[in-house]
Amino acid sequence: MFLQQLINGLTLGGVYALVALGYTMVYGILELINFAHGEIYMLGAYIGIIALGLFTAWGWTAAAPALSLLAAVAVAAVYCGAVGATVERLAYRPLRRAHRLTPLISAIGVSIVLQNVVMLTQGSADKVFPRLSDAPTTFAVAGATVSALQLWIVGISAALMGSLHLLIRKTRLGLAMRATAQDPRMASLVGVPVNRVITATFVIGSALAAVAGVMVGLYYGVVNFFIGYVAGIKAFTAAVLGGIGNVPGAMLGGVILGVLEGLGAGYLSNEYKDVIAFVILILVLIVRPTGLMGERIPDKV
Amino acid sequence: MTLERKFWGPVGWGLLAGALLVPLAGVEHGAKIAVAVAIATAGWQLTHRGPAARAIARTGVILNRIRGRALTAVSENRRAWMLVGAVTLAAGPLALNNYVLDVLALAWLYVVLALGLQITVGFTGLLDLGYAAFYAMGAYGYALASTRFGVSFWAGLPLGALLAAACGVLLGVVTLRLRGDYLAIVTLGFIQIVHLVLNNWDRVTNGPNGILHIGRPQIGSLVFTDPIHFYYLMLGVAIVAILINTRVQSSRIGRAWMAIRDDEIAAEAMGVPTTRLKILAFASGAAWAGVAGVCFAGKYAFVSPESFTFFESIVILAMVVLGGMSSIPGVVVGAVVIVVVPELLRGVQDYRMLAFGAALVFMMAARPEGLIRRGLPKRRPGAAAA
Amino acid sequence: MKVSLLARIAILLIAITTGACTSAPSNVLTIGAAGPMTGDQSKMGIDLRHGVELAVDEWNAKGGVLGKRIVMQVEDDQHDPKQAVAVANKLVNSGVVGVIGHWNSSASIPASGVYSQGKVVMITPASTNPRLTEQGFPTVFRICGRDDQQGPLAARFVRERFPNAAVAVLHDKTTYGQGLAEEFQRALGAGPRVVFSSGVTQGDKDFRAVLTTVKAARPEIIFFGGIYPEAALLVRQARELGLTAPFISGDGTYDQKFLEIAGPAADGTYLTFGPDPADFPQSQAFLTKYHERFGPHGPYSIYAYDAANILLSAIAQAGTTDGLKLAEVIRGTSHQGAQGEIRFDARGDVLNAPYIVWIVKQGRFEQFWRPG
Repeated sequence: MFLQQLINGLTLGGVYALVALGYTMVYGILELINFAHGEIYMLGAYIGIIALGLFTAWGWTAAAPALSLLAAVAVAAVYCGAVGATVERLAYRPLRRAHRLTPLISAIGVSIVLQNVVMLTQGSADKVFPRLSDAPTTFAVAGATVSALQLWIVGISAALMGSLHLLIRKTRLGLAMRATAQDPRMASLVGVPVNRVITATFVIGSALAAVAGVMVGLYYGVVNFFIGYVAGIKAFTAAVLGGIGNVPGAMLGGVILGVLEGLGAGYLSNEYKDVIAFVILILVLIVRPTGLMGERIPDKV
Repeated sequence: MTLERKFWGPVGWGLLAGALLVPLAGVEHGAKIAVAVAIATAGWQLTHRGPAARAIARTGVILNRIRGRALTAVSENRRAWMLVGAVTLAAGPLALNNYVLDVLALAWLYVVLALGLQITVGFTGLLDLGYAAFYAMGAYGYALASTRFGVSFWAGLPLGALLAAACGVLLGVVTLRLRGDYLAIVTLGFIQIVHLVLNNWDRVTNGPNGILHIGRPQIGSLVFTDPIHFYYLMLGVAIVAILINTRVQSSRIGRAWMAIRDDEIAAEAMGVPTTRLKILAFASGAAWAGVAGVCFAGKYAFVSPESFTFFESIVILAMVVLGGMSSIPGVVVGAVVIVVVPELLRGVQDYRMLAFGAALVFMMAARPEGLIRRGLPKRRPGAAAA
Repeated sequence: MKVSLLARIAILLIAITTGACTSAPSNVLTIGAAGPMTGDQSKMGIDLRHGVELAVDEWNAKGGVLGKRIVMQVEDDQHDPKQAVAVANKLVNSGVVGVIGHWNSSASIPASGVYSQGKVVMITPASTNPRLTEQGFPTVFRICGRDDQQGPLAARFVRERFPNAAVAVLHDKTTYGQGLAEEFQRALGAGPRVVFSSGVTQGDKDFRAVLTTVKAARPEIIFFGGIYPEAALLVRQARELGLTAPFISGDGTYDQKFLEIAGPAADGTYLTFGPDPADFPQSQAFLTKYHERFGPHGPYSIYAYDAANILLSAIAQAGTTDGLKLAEVIRGTSHQGAQGEIRFDARGDVLNAPYIVWIVKQGRFEQFWRPG
């Protein structure tokens, strides 16, 4: 049973981590808690459904299920990247010099708008994700069940997180992102196109959320316009647990949160599983006030 | 503004909005929305130029002049104007129907909540996302005291305030070492924990069913039941809160809070006891939430966990930020706007929350520093030189 | 510029509100429809509105009631008790002759006080919490069953079909779900034993953790008190984890979406609900018309439709819109609804809410068992 709970938690954690990455990237650069990020994840799931529906109608899913799924993920990622960039341009960029909390409220406004746009255009009822295969492939491992989809989710999450890490550490864009995160004014003085770097951050973060959205939609088989709210809170928590603004931290935070939830529900109380997760979060922050992998920020005098 | 930008701006935004909506709403609606957005943007641009813009600018100048005159008149004859205001607030309800009174009573209740959160967020600069937890403490504290021990509403008020303040101290102590957004997440965790406990601790809180038959406020033989009673009750509490907070803001404590907000280390170097003051800020903010919670329980005679969520905290935070962080009149206006606007938007039916979300984004863009900034001209312009 | 911006916002808002507040002429009768129209539970509210809308349009096509055209006033309570009270006040003030709503028990209970004070008839199509009608308000009616009617039927079924079975009880920690689970557990009696009992979080998507624990408790049947999204995911994830015990659930699970989401995993699930509307000739017309206009019907669409019809025919019969008189007529009459005969008891509950047990077979709901 322990193994089963661990597997449950790891899958959930992989999903949290993917969504948490978007939060942490945006936070690292703008110090903005992008509350609308959870809605981008929800949009990704919807676009995935719509794309797969079209592909089914064109007969692609029957011919090449894996390929058409990949194509659907790509469509969702591109779409959400565009939405992310638009939201940044319309709702956050005009507020860049305002008080820190101003964009936060704007983000909440964006989140309400996106939720309602989806509710009004796609209906308020749950949407069922097209089933690509009738019987899910499962493996039995030491008394526990693992589905192929779970392995895919963990695998894709790990691969995406790894490539994001490389992108930030090894490429010019990553260098520009790190420079902007450290000091936007200084970065622009040495020739970093700060606005473009910020747009790129939103595009990448939103695309990752879209991937998470499609995978989760497939995993649970159902989405509705409200899933972004819960996922957003959990992912934000994961990001902070790991040390907000820190990319490996977000991955670690997501996985730990997922496993904690699984084990807490399994061994203590399902009703209080979120309480357990939050209490541990608070304890971690009391001991390490900047999260598990966050750097200590010296007090500036 | 060049001609191209004037033309391509609206077309660009329209095409973008339409293109993004096509996958969700279909080509036909996407196209309609593209046209609508383009027309709206063009219309908006027209208000910058041409006869429409001149008319609006003129209205704006007139409004500005009226505002200036009003401010001058108010500051010159404070007493007289306050009397007019007081009479309107006191006698106005007699002409209003129950629905409007109910909404206004709710608005005054949120004024109290927003003023409390303003102490923590606006004055002291501590981002508290779990403020609704204190609100819950007041409401459930009174609900239990009333239904189990028959405590009256008036005795419940200080009780709720104390209970909430105690929780405020607790949260303040726990989070002392945390800064900025780490504090925010702990407070978020706090409201989640409180909400889940309220929903799951069936023996005490009656779980999701909530607590019914809570004692209503009573004066002599008059039991408060009608919206008009609660209008006056909430108005009274709100006025007391405004008066006390105004006093506190300009007191030594208030100035010390703002010093912590502006630069904690400098404040500490100047001898401000930052630790105690931060805890005090949490406790005083929480006390107002406790009072509001007791009023809530007394008004609805029913409490259930779904009234005390993270989203409720966010709504109250939006009032503070929208109104203008450290301006008391601003926060009052912010609270009233956020309660009243969704009610005004009931006319647009299903589009109500969509319009509200868009209004939030729009208002923040139009007024990044809040509706009312601190430091309204206290004296007549020009008189400053004297 | 700043002030002119504010001026523009003000002008916009005034335009919206004046546009919305078109005053009703005196030759119309307004009935209210209240429920969660936006937010996470908006599907429920919109189902309710569609049911009422259909009834109102049919009456208007027949020439209205008392010679007046009927108008529906829809109000959104977002399943928030505060907004429910505000909405109730608004409806009473705008002079509605009756209200169909609210959806959630936690909204109906506080709102019922306002309607009762304003002497306005309220008929809820979906709030199943027993306490709603136990407040003694004469104008409050409930057209659906109560948790304490439905839970015991499920318990009786389990006693007869699964004697001495190990039972796991899950619920969604809402007024509805938990209430139903408690009534089920209370009526279970000797024989079946409850080996596991827990709440799950409404809105969660991943129940694998709790299901793993349920599996370890080796139940032979699992009761779930809650609505279809959670029910579907529970069933589906249980099967993926190799937990094969059948589920039994309540009316909240009776929804086409349950079948769609759960897919083949839904087969063999029992649930309690009213008899098939399709069994009544009179409901065929309703179902056809509803599907034509709004698509598939939700579990309570038909209740909302019947509630509106009862209200309107009471007005026609009483010849007045006085709430107390209407309440008397509603209480004293037997109504022919789309789901059969409906009569109310003194409290305002329906007499013998006719629950039966259904089963899912090959992706369809089928009637399975009636209490003998």
